[in-house]
Amino acid sequence: MSTVSLQQPLVRAPRRRRVRWGRGLAWAVMILFLVLTLFPFLWIIRTALSTTRSLPSAPSDLLPVDFTWGAFARVLGLSSRAQAIAQGGSGASVNFWLYLRNSAVYATGVTIGQVFFSSMAAYAFARLRWRGRNLVFAIFLGALLVPPIFTQLPNFILIKNMGLLNTLPGMILPTFFMTPFAVFFMRQFMLGINHEIEESAALDGAGPWRTFFRIILPLSSAPATTLAILIFITTWNDYFWPLLVGNTGSTRVLTVALGVFESQTPSGSPDWAGLMAATLVAAAPVLILFIAFARKIIDSIGYSGGK
Amino acid sequence: MPTLSRRELLGLASASALAVTLAACGNGSSTGSSGATGDAAIDTSKASGEVTYWLWDNNQQPAYQKVADNFHAANPGITVKITQYGWNDYWTNITNGFVAGTAPDVFTNHLSMYPQFVSQNQLVPLDATLAKDGVKTDVFQKGLADLWVGPDGHRYGLPKDFDTISIFYNKALVSAAGVKDADLQSLTWNPTDGGTYEKMIAHLTIDVNGVRGDQPGFDKSKVKVYGLGLDGGSGGAYGQTQWSMYTGTTGWTFTDKNPWGTHYNYDKPEFQNTMAWMRSLIAKGYMPSLQAVTGTASADLFGAGKYAMITNGSWMIKQMFSYKGVQTGLAPTPTGPSGKRSSMFNGLADSIWVGSKNKPAAAKWVEYLGSAAAQDVIGQAGVVFPAIPSGTQAAQAAFKAAGVDVTSFLMQVNDGTTFLFPITEHATQIGNIMQPAVDAVFTGQSPANSLTSANQQVNALFTS
Amino acid sequence: MFIAPAALGFVVFFLYPALRGFYFSLTQYNLLGTPQWIGFANFAEIPHDPLFWNSLKVTVEYVVLNIGFQTVIAVLLAVLMQRLTTSTLVRGALLLPWLISNVIAALTWFWLLDYQIGLVNQFLSWLGVDRIAFFADNFWAIPTIAMVNIWRNMGYTALLVFAGLQTIPRYVYEAAAIDGCSEWRAFWRITLPLLRPVLAMVLVLTVTGSFQVFDTVAVTTKGGPVNITRVIQFYIYQKAFADGQFGYASALSVVLFVILAVLAALQLRLLRAGESDLA
Repeated sequence: MSTVSLQQPLVRAPRRRRVRWGRGLAWAVMILFLVLTLFPFLWIIRTALSTTRSLPSAPSDLLPVDFTWGAFARVLGLSSRAQAIAQGGSGASVNFWLYLRNSAVYATGVTIGQVFFSSMAAYAFARLRWRGRNLVFAIFLGALLVPPIFTQLPNFILIKNMGLLNTLPGMILPTFFMTPFAVFFMRQFMLGINHEIEESAALDGAGPWRTFFRIILPLSSAPATTLAILIFITTWNDYFWPLLVGNTGSTRVLTVALGVFESQTPSGSPDWAGLMAATLVAAAPVLILFIAFARKIIDSIGYSGGK
Repeated sequence: MPTLSRRELLGLASASALAVTLAACGNGSSTGSSGATGDAAIDTSKASGEVTYWLWDNNQQPAYQKVADNFHAANPGITVKITQYGWNDYWTNITNGFVAGTAPDVFTNHLSMYPQFVSQNQLVPLDATLAKDGVKTDVFQKGLADLWVGPDGHRYGLPKDFDTISIFYNKALVSAAGVKDADLQSLTWNPTDGGTYEKMIAHLTIDVNGVRGDQPGFDKSKVKVYGLGLDGGSGGAYGQTQWSMYTGTTGWTFTDKNPWGTHYNYDKPEFQNTMAWMRSLIAKGYMPSLQAVTGTASADLFGAGKYAMITNGSWMIKQMFSYKGVQTGLAPTPTGPSGKRSSMFNGLADSIWVGSKNKPAAAKWVEYLGSAAAQDVIGQAGVVFPAIPSGTQAAQAAFKAAGVDVTSFLMQVNDGTTFLFPITEHATQIGNIMQPAVDAVFTGQSPANSLTSANQQVNALFTS
Repeated sequence: MFIAPAALGFVVFFLYPALRGFYFSLTQYNLLGTPQWIGFANFAEIPHDPLFWNSLKVTVEYVVLNIGFQTVIAVLLAVLMQRLTTSTLVRGALLLPWLISNVIAALTWFWLLDYQIGLVNQFLSWLGVDRIAFFADNFWAIPTIAMVNIWRNMGYTALLVFAGLQTIPRYVYEAAAIDGCSEWRAFWRITLPLLRPVLAMVLVLTVTGSFQVFDTVAVTTKGGPVNITRVIQFYIYQKAFADGQFGYASALSVVLFVILAVLAALQLRLLRAGESDLA
């Protein structure tokens, strides 16, 4: 195991001066990108803290226009219908905690299934040798190229015929077993795993299942965690499918519920403050999760040096 | 409610999307074709159970909940369950529901969608049921009920509300130009020089140096306030809030007959001259270009004080009067060559889906929604104009109580200067042809007579 | 065995709808009727469709801008992340745009870049520069849409590349450093080659992904003004769902599918994605 910390300069002393200069430049570039990335969020926060119908009166102010927490109250379902409408919001009721729970169940379910089953498939594509492997993989990959508009309706009917409409399993199922992306992702990382480890396992008499569970999965924990985060976030942000399949009160997820802040009537403008507050509130749990897990990724970095 | 602008087209597109697949899936076609229940009357006398009802305007949901509660009180056996979806999601869900058998019993229907639903046999004809239950269809504002009679002569919806067009103006910007509110009430327009209307627009336009549009030295490349705003784009095939109130005064009509015309008139000089006039306003700097309005909603730009006046529909009243720091006024659209004003007349209705499992209760609910008892309650909420005159009056009173004088909208109805939204087949395709074509005239890329060839494409849809 | 569950999900939820779409491409199929078999007539019509060529041109312009900038920026950011800081905060910050939906990203920029009241244009006119109709100008519209998507996706793509960087054992760099190899050289000689499988994946994903650009156009310009932002997915969508030419739209999708498949195969081959120099 390598114990070199990341902060340690990788280049030796003689070049130190030049390296420092390079680092300064590197930091400057990094900060530039951070600013570019974060500025629109400043804008989103500023809008979320404004009063919707006051926004056009100061369209380019960097600070909130007529500061209010009202938008957040609307998002969390804390303001009365009359209050919400008076502030330019919608009169819809928001049962925030229920939707949060549904989103969590939906995203977690999809993530667990997809990461596990896709890893299994990726293992078969990356490490096992069997006839037709490359062809099957190519076909799997082809699914990346199918426009979602073609898959949505047949899947909806299928779920309906299975009697799973307005249930969480019905929402989870289509992406529970795989997405082409997840298989592709895991395969590419598994390609990089050292053959020798596997070979020595094989010498010890370990079958493919044992190798998969004991060696490949643990070794892939960093990409798998990354993948899990990506899937979780994608699923968390999913709007259209849960709207279609689970829009009754009891299975409604956060994104769908917060859709009421978008424009409800044609040609009206949205409840800007509510929309932006909803965006922030919906993004907060994933952000927290990401920060928690990102640490884990860093902790598990050492795996690759495990030779 | 307004007709399609580009934004809405999208929602409709995705809706028709699913309609496409109606035929593809055995499921849908079964409900579809068997839905041809003919015009047998539904027996509403023993109606009971639950009715599902969908609408998209969340501003109206509280009022409709109140109506549903009243209905339940009068018919204790029937419960109405209301679900609201935003405009874009609404149509997708409706048509998905048609396919999968999960559509609501009763739903708010839109003129732009309903021809398609009729031709796909998705709606229950209401005539016999209404006749049997003694429900009159002549109680609504004149013309509205005709909109909902299909090409087969059957009625597929009962009117609920309507909308017309007016000029919204920014009082501060108008009085800064030395114009009195009264001056805006009787403007005249013609497609040649724009009449007193264009003079007013020019006068209300100011560049960054404070020079007005009708003064020498006006810099049209640096306009601070446009005399007339433009609602989101060229208006495409219908121009409901952009130009239909002008073309309506020239004697021009969209189609050979309405509803269910089969020939469009985009090749007529009255129409093309009006488009050329619109383009000239942009070229003179009195109205923003398409480039300038591709962005924030026109209402927000009005709220930002960028427009002295803008034409828009009655469904926008609430929003247009809610902006901080903007005192909004209302004026009727100008009179044109015909000597009269003009406004598109558009409305919504409630329809029953053929796949409804509880048609008796659904019919009972639709009949109730079409009654004065229900529409008065909706009117009192002061959001839209209900289709029944007593409901319209209730709405007028509610707006008045909120400090808004809606005379300029109702004037068109009372004076009989409205014309009905053109209902024809192929609405979405027509939109797809006309949007880029009218866009190109507005940007100056093509002359107005280029619309003749677009018109040929449109009319070809009806011959093939 | 290992692929059984994934194969099940694949066949039911991806393959079946795709095959159905292919079948429709050989039919004439409008809103009302049943599909009518017309063989390859749809495909024969495509080369004569000026709107198809226009949409392809617009899409390619978008893809080139998007991929070019996004890949370079992502690799740059990934390397910077690896070298400069372990801070989760920085990483989280860069990923932030990806946590919000396409629609919100597009709407936020739509407001910021608005011609009349957008902050950016206010800033430009304050500088004395002419205002720019970012979303509606013939020159700017596609680059602007590309920029919005680069903004949203660069952190995410950087994270993918970063994950790839993590699989490169540190001893390789250490050895290089001992040999007196500069960081710059190490990047070209070691990092990039070893990154090949991941880079190949990132490229395939971003290329296919950007050919499918839709949301950003749908919530902002809707393909206009005139046709300048009518990207191919939006065109397919309109054909299928608004014009009721589902068969023709399916044929367009098949054409797009073939183009993408060829591109993907080329990329995988060129980058020899199937192998890592480490393995």
